[in-house]
Amino acid sequence: MCGIIAYIGRRQAAPLILEGLKKLEYRGYDSFGIATLESNLEIEKHKGRISEYSGALRLRGTIGIGHTRWATHGIPNDINAHPHVDCTNRIAVVHNGIIENFAELKKALTARGHTFRSETDTEIVAHLIEERYWKGTDLLSAVRSILPILKGSYALLIIAAGSDCLIAARNGSPLVIGIGDNEYFAASDMTPVLDYTERAVFLEDGDTACLTKNGIEIYRDMCRVDRPVELIDWSPEEVRKGGFAHFMLKEIYEQPQAFFNTLRCVDKHTLPSFVYKFSSLTVVACGSSYHTGLIFKYLLEEACGIPVRVDVASEFRYFHPPLEGLLIGITQSGETADTLTALRLARKHNCQTLAITNVLGSSASRVADATLFMRAGPEISVAATKSFIAQLAILMQIIDARSDGMFENILQHAHQAIEEVLLMDLSAAVDLCRNAKSIFYIGRGPFYPVALEGALKMKEISYIHAEGYAAGELKHGPFALLSPDTPVIAICTPGETYGVMVSNIKEIKARGAPVIAFGDEGDLELSDIVDLFIPLPKTHSFIGVLTIIVALQILAYRTAVALDRDIDKPRNLAKSVTVE
Amino acid sequence: MQAVILAAGEGRRVRPLTWSRPKAMIPVANRPIIAYTIDALVTNGIRDIIVVVGYRKEHVTRFLNQLDLPIEVVIQEKQLGTAHALQQAESQIKGDFLLLPGDNYIDAQSVAKIKEIKNAVLVKEHPNPSNFGVITVRDGRVDSIVEKPDHATSFLVSTGIYSLPTDFFQYVRGNDVTEAISCMIENGIDVHAVTADDWQDAIYPWDLIRLNQRLLRHMPATREGTSSRHATIQGPTHIGKGTTIGPNTVISGPVIIGNDCTIGPNCCILPNTSIGSRVTIEPLSLIGNTILMDDTSIASHSRIMDSVIGERCVLADHISTGTTEGFLEIEGKPTHSHFGAILGDNVTCGSFARFRNGIVGNNATLEGNRVVSSRIIPDDTMVI
Repeated sequence: MCGIIAYIGRRQAAPLILEGLKKLEYRGYDSFGIATLESNLEIEKHKGRISEYSGALRLRGTIGIGHTRWATHGIPNDINAHPHVDCTNRIAVVHNGIIENFAELKKALTARGHTFRSETDTEIVAHLIEERYWKGTDLLSAVRSILPILKGSYALLIIAAGSDCLIAARNGSPLVIGIGDNEYFAASDMTPVLDYTERAVFLEDGDTACLTKNGIEIYRDMCRVDRPVELIDWSPEEVRKGGFAHFMLKEIYEQPQAFFNTLRCVDKHTLPSFVYKFSSLTVVACGSSYHTGLIFKYLLEEACGIPVRVDVASEFRYFHPPLEGLLIGITQSGETADTLTALRLARKHNCQTLAITNVLGSSASRVADATLFMRAGPEISVAATKSFIAQLAILMQIIDARSDGMFENILQHAHQAIEEVLLMDLSAAVDLCRNAKSIFYIGRGPFYPVALEGALKMKEISYIHAEGYAAGELKHGPFALLSPDTPVIAICTPGETYGVMVSNIKEIKARGAPVIAFGDEGDLELSDIVDLFIPLPKTHSFIGVLTIIVALQILAYRTAVALDRDIDKPRNLAKSVTVE
Repeated sequence: MQAVILAAGEGRRVRPLTWSRPKAMIPVANRPIIAYTIDALVTNGIRDIIVVVGYRKEHVTRFLNQLDLPIEVVIQEKQLGTAHALQQAESQIKGDFLLLPGDNYIDAQSVAKIKEIKNAVLVKEHPNPSNFGVITVRDGRVDSIVEKPDHATSFLVSTGIYSLPTDFFQYVRGNDVTEAISCMIENGIDVHAVTADDWQDAIYPWDLIRLNQRLLRHMPATREGTSSRHATIQGPTHIGKGTTIGPNTVISGPVIIGNDCTIGPNCCILPNTSIGSRVTIEPLSLIGNTILMDDTSIASHSRIMDSVIGERCVLADHISTGTTEGFLEIEGKPTHSHFGAILGDNVTCGSFARFRNGIVGNNATLEGNRVVSSRIIPDDTMVI
């Protein structure tokens, strides 16, 4: 979680870092801080969101580090905000990740006379460096000598008075170095750097980099190494709101393009050969990505008869059935800690692994045997929208490949169906939902995970309690909660589930709960029994999944707007969960 | 210099084509009309552009985000008129500025002429002036301006393109810019009339056919797809990536064809035709002087002339359009028209259907063998 950024070069660092932190804010937003180096360290840190901070920064210097926090150790306040310094105020550290052995290290350091100001795990790094930095060594060797002591995951950026270099170290948390003209950046991802350069070096786990005004040097295991410079093809425009009220709305409207682009880039010829061979499959993912995995299970098992096991990544390691065949890990950021652990576990069992991710050079693409990239472009809003659709594009392409192109025609025009949904007016549904205490989403077959995802979107951004259920499960308990204040959103499209869905809806109506139904246009039987009928274009079930997801995203978005919620940065959340 | 482009209005008279997009976003020669306005400004070195959006604002904004230059987007929540739209951008305006409608075509040269002059309006003669602001001129200065009069006193109309001073907002009275201009004149401020070189507006959907002819003249002719060596391609023709042209197909430019289309074999594409992306045209069909939007498919043995076909239409075989004159009721007024067919988005049409001066709304379904002659079929209708 947490976003970090550093700058070294010819410009004043503080304003540049402040701008950069605003772009990283999706990674965490409960407090932030910046440190720069003039002759001494200058530090400012505040509780609260960086985008809401209006004060002026009085920090001078052309070297600096910044941090925006998602609290793990210690509550969000001014003191626990990064950067953290040592006892002598000469070394400043920002950190993303968790240092697992911090308690014992802290005890030892306190015993040696160090005074701790914050409750964070990060502060120990500053004190550890302090002990080495004073023994006549330079900052780089001081940092490299303490890194083996740290257990856990970290991306560290360090500056110190008396040293004109900036040290970056990575182990388990993302860190990129941006290369400009005689200026260098280090950041959690490329978004804040894109305004200045498109050349980047992705550090690997275990790398330490020393950035000076004249160049970068990367070290690993005491040896100097070279890492390739990659060109990033995102444009900075893509990470701006560009006239939309929220990133989420922008991303919802980019979905037809995201689906189409992904479908074009991941065509049959670029799929790795083992995709054509697997006879059993495990999908591991978290959050929204887990729901795409479930949809994939329903669609693939029906189309190709291949058994699919779908697991939540954080629970995966506690299951112990024999692992075989192919394991697919789905993660938008490519940094989701649990999904990465699952991919590593699969490799240990000699499984083939495939990562599906949106971020070039992310950890997932390095852990897995093969990676398929979604072409969704950067997703900033915390609630996943276009990455969800792009994941489905890849998974549907895999289904199409395994069923000899049966769905090719359908997928070709799918983005147009999404486009149609974007024109729909859902204001009546929003009025029903905005005052609700709880909302239940129900569906059957592939529409069950669709219901789960719809509910997730709703609770994430509108803070209304929402649950998705398989329609048949509602009777086993949740029925007790039905009342006129709990609208039920039912997905009821023609097909084998239609008849039984209609009777489920009638049962719910009999308990007095209002029902909003999504169905095929012209379905008079359904529109007669429900309170609000939302017609969707008649299509194949593959496309039905896509259109209903998009409609439910819009419903959640509009409801959250009506309730005046903070849509792009919902409380307590962060975009990618890089801690376990 | 700054420029404000108004793209908030729906353009009700261009229905059914404005159901999913405002008029400024209708693709002509495969690009939204507003793109040509932005081009004209950029050619003149005007890069500080503000666009006022309203109707289907997300679609316009999404398009603007894809452009290379950053564009400021301002929202008009309710479409109350041009002056009201302009007022939404008031806080962003720092000096003298240009005001342009996003749904007209204007050439770069006319923009070059007007940007040099403070307080000016670009004017042009038009055979049907009562659809516009009608202007009378004395000594190169505007004498009077009247918005959409019943009886026009001159053939000179305002193109809706103005060069305005920063303090223009103090003259705004009603909801329209023309009223504010009248108010300026009453206050003794000279407003110059500058004649436009080339300007075209599409008031009614069939006007798009003429606009398309005009815009195809400047289309870049590049060929990227694959065409059979037995196909004949003559004149300026743009063929997009992934498009295949089958054998014995004849294309005579100017014609623009988007990406991933399948055309032919044995088709004939006549001049002044714009074909969007992912369009399929089956053998033995003839298309000419027509706009075909994305994802539409036309089955064999069809003849489509002088028409506008929306997105995702599915037309069966043997469909023909006959270009005829007639009167159609547009926004309550009987209007003279002359075209083949105008189809909205998502129209499904059975075999042997014929269109003569007929408009079909969005999501409508036509069974085979129907004739649509000087008629408007509303949205979501099923004609059995």
